[in-house]
Amino acid sequence: MSHDVTITPLETQALFDLRGPATVLRDWAGDSLPAFPQRPNTGSSNGRATLMFLGPDHWILRADLAREDAFEAALRPVAAPPEISIVRISDTLAFFRIIGPEAGEILSIACPLDLHPRCFGHDAASFTAAFGIKALVIRCEGGFELAVDRSYLPMMTECLTAAAG
Amino acid sequence: MLLITCPFCGPRNESEFVYGGPVKPPRPDPATRDDAEWTEWLTHVPNPVGPVEEQWWHARGCGTWLTIWRDTRSHDIVGAPHDGG
Ligand SMILES: [Zn+2]
Repeated sequence: MSHDVTITPLETQALFDLRGPATVLRDWAGDSLPAFPQRPNTGSSNGRATLMFLGPDHWILRADLAREDAFEAALRPVAAPPEISIVRISDTLAFFRIIGPEAGEILSIACPLDLHPRCFGHDAASFTAAFGIKALVIRCEGGFELAVDRSYLPMMTECLTAAAG
Repeated sequence: MLLITCPFCGPRNESEFVYGGPVKPPRPDPATRDDAEWTEWLTHVPNPVGPVEEQWWHARGCGTWLTIWRDTRSHDIVGAPHDGG
């Protein structure tokens, strides 16, 4: 049985891994970051980037690759104070966009998350497991985005294709 | 399959977690214990019939380490004994 979905690999995204107290990160980054999301496993956007709250004192900033240099300059990872850590990780994750009426069906095959909008709302983003490996799942317009360590790109492509039928 | 409540993420499937073993008593000072006591602490793994306190790591999630009480007779997650569980 085939599912009514479109699965698209995305180009490399600009990603920065941010760790440490939000107050210190906010002071350091100034107004270059979107507002810090308050609820765990949600993201906030400001039009230029999305900031996702993915663990205690752990955020990932995501933007188009064209903005990577600008964020690197604004965030100054090498000069960051010792209480925080800022690491560019754009090369580490491969993204897929899974959209369509049955996108939820594919995600339900892939991962154990409760995807009901009450649990995983319009601004939700969370690490979970997809086909047994660690994955970042983000709700987007019309479906979901899924990111895995780049070395799993061929495996994830095969698994998603098989799930979609 | 267990549904484990992560303090950051809320209830999540067991497959997102890695088992971290039972919670052991605090590490004694080896300088003040005899060999038998020290060996007992090093090698004795709590394995009761009934509630046991365990560590789990939300490895495929937010990365938090947490503890739960699990009843080895039913595999159910239960309250801590002092909570009346
Ligand atoms: Zn968690």
